[in-house]
Amino acid sequence: MTNQLAAGTTALQAQVGGLQHDLQRMMRRFGRQCRGQGNVFVTLVRQTEQHLLEAGRQLRPLVHAAGTHWYEAKHLPAAQRERLVTKLQVALAAHQRMAKQSRRLTNGKPLPHGKIVNAYDVTIAPICKGKRNCPAQFGRKPGMIAEMASGFIVAFRLPVGNPNDLSSVRPLLDGVQQAMTRVSGRCALAIHSLAGDLALNDASWRETLHARGILTVGIPRTVEPLTPVPSQEDVRRVLNEAGLHGKRTPHQVHLACACGYSRPVVESIMASVLCRGAARITYKGHRGAVVQTGVTVMAHNAATLVRVQQNHLSTRAQKLRRLLRLKRHNVNEFNVSKN
Amino acid sequence: MTDRGPSIRVADFVPETHPWRQWADTFPWAALVAAVDQSEARRFPTHTTRGRAPMATRVLLALELLKHELPCSDEQICSRLRTDLAVMYACGIADVHVDRFQGHVVLPEILAQFRRRIDEALMHELLTIQAAAAMEAGLVSPAHLVFDTCPSEQGSQRVNDAATLYKAQKKSSKSSRR
Repeated sequence: MTNQLAAGTTALQAQVGGLQHDLQRMMRRFGRQCRGQGNVFVTLVRQTEQHLLEAGRQLRPLVHAAGTHWYEAKHLPAAQRERLVTKLQVALAAHQRMAKQSRRLTNGKPLPHGKIVNAYDVTIAPICKGKRNCPAQFGRKPGMIAEMASGFIVAFRLPVGNPNDLSSVRPLLDGVQQAMTRVSGRCALAIHSLAGDLALNDASWRETLHARGILTVGIPRTVEPLTPVPSQEDVRRVLNEAGLHGKRTPHQVHLACACGYSRPVVESIMASVLCRGAARITYKGHRGAVVQTGVTVMAHNAATLVRVQQNHLSTRAQKLRRLLRLKRHNVNEFNVSKN
Repeated sequence: MTDRGPSIRVADFVPETHPWRQWADTFPWAALVAAVDQSEARRFPTHTTRGRAPMATRVLLALELLKHELPCSDEQICSRLRTDLAVMYACGIADVHVDRFQGHVVLPEILAQFRRRIDEALMHELLTIQAAAAMEAGLVSPAHLVFDTCPSEQGSQRVNDAATLYKAQKKSSKSSRR
């Protein structure tokens, strides 16, 4: 970046060059001391880290100096200057966060959730617990709301970092609501039930969903999932717990239980999305990840609609669609009685 | 694509039972293209009419979606658009004027530039439009939904220093045995 500044900033360029040279020398020395030993010396790593952090302290005054020079660089267009200044500020912020995290590691304290795993994209987070003998994955955890009968994904959300799954439910339900408000010409659509795994088994969240008129039948209270065919008592209990006696009918509870959380069905939806390119995010940054996941979800939805139109669905899905009165009239079927 | 050479009607060549034709016909293209155009006009207003005529949004959006349906790269999907009539149909190209000297229709760089202009809000809007169209057609019902998360990997790393040290020691002990 300093190369694009005017000729009057040679002192700054020299300082930047000196800093780069120092950093290279430190890393070279570290490599030479470790070479051929067959061991990683933790003490040496710590010492080198201290040297690097000390050298890195010179970075802040250099950035401030560069910031003032940018505004004087009249030979560059204003838009380019703004872009470069933003890039510089982002780089400085990333350096500060990494230095802070590095010091925390040096003191032997455990890291909280906001751990930086990629210097160029701080929105990525570890997505599973790592084991001692294998690397931990890091990436993103998109939350998705899908229709259980066919697997059509109605809304998705890609959070920054790895927050609690509960935090995605409200924005996703709002997304579904937005889609429903766009629909015209049909009777009023409503969300009757929401199913989820134990991650959603939170009392306050259940109450929030009940207040919106949504049953939480699919969310098991224990590790044992609810029965797909509930008895009259079960139906009454579900309606009593939700306080939705007037709003939801026993038939809707029966349907919700039939649709309720089924791991193989959910896994098949995920597998379809992952095989279309969502398994590994290749686009850069959080925006890139949103675009990649979103386009993948749309491609999956189109394939699902083709299957629905051709009736290439599982027996369970066909039954659910019949109960939901979504089954299309088969024009090729001859319905006149054979007698 | 160009105004030279004999014309070919793409729809005549791609049968109605072709999977990509059926896949492409499920999208509410007019609404999707309008949403993209509105978003881009608001965020990137054009001040000039100079230069080459822009590539149709419908083509670029369809290419981006097709890229994920047929797992391939930008270069591969752009190359297939030049030669594959089913891809042309999916991209909304109705007639093709054969020109054997034309090397490409869409450059991969243009596709990357188009993708760079899509933001989070637009992406969610596109999905909302698709979902609304499916609900309106009576193919999907939002009555009973399921929520879950799926991990998308973007790399991997050692968990902590102790794990790294353990791996290094194991490696060195293996090499010393040899």
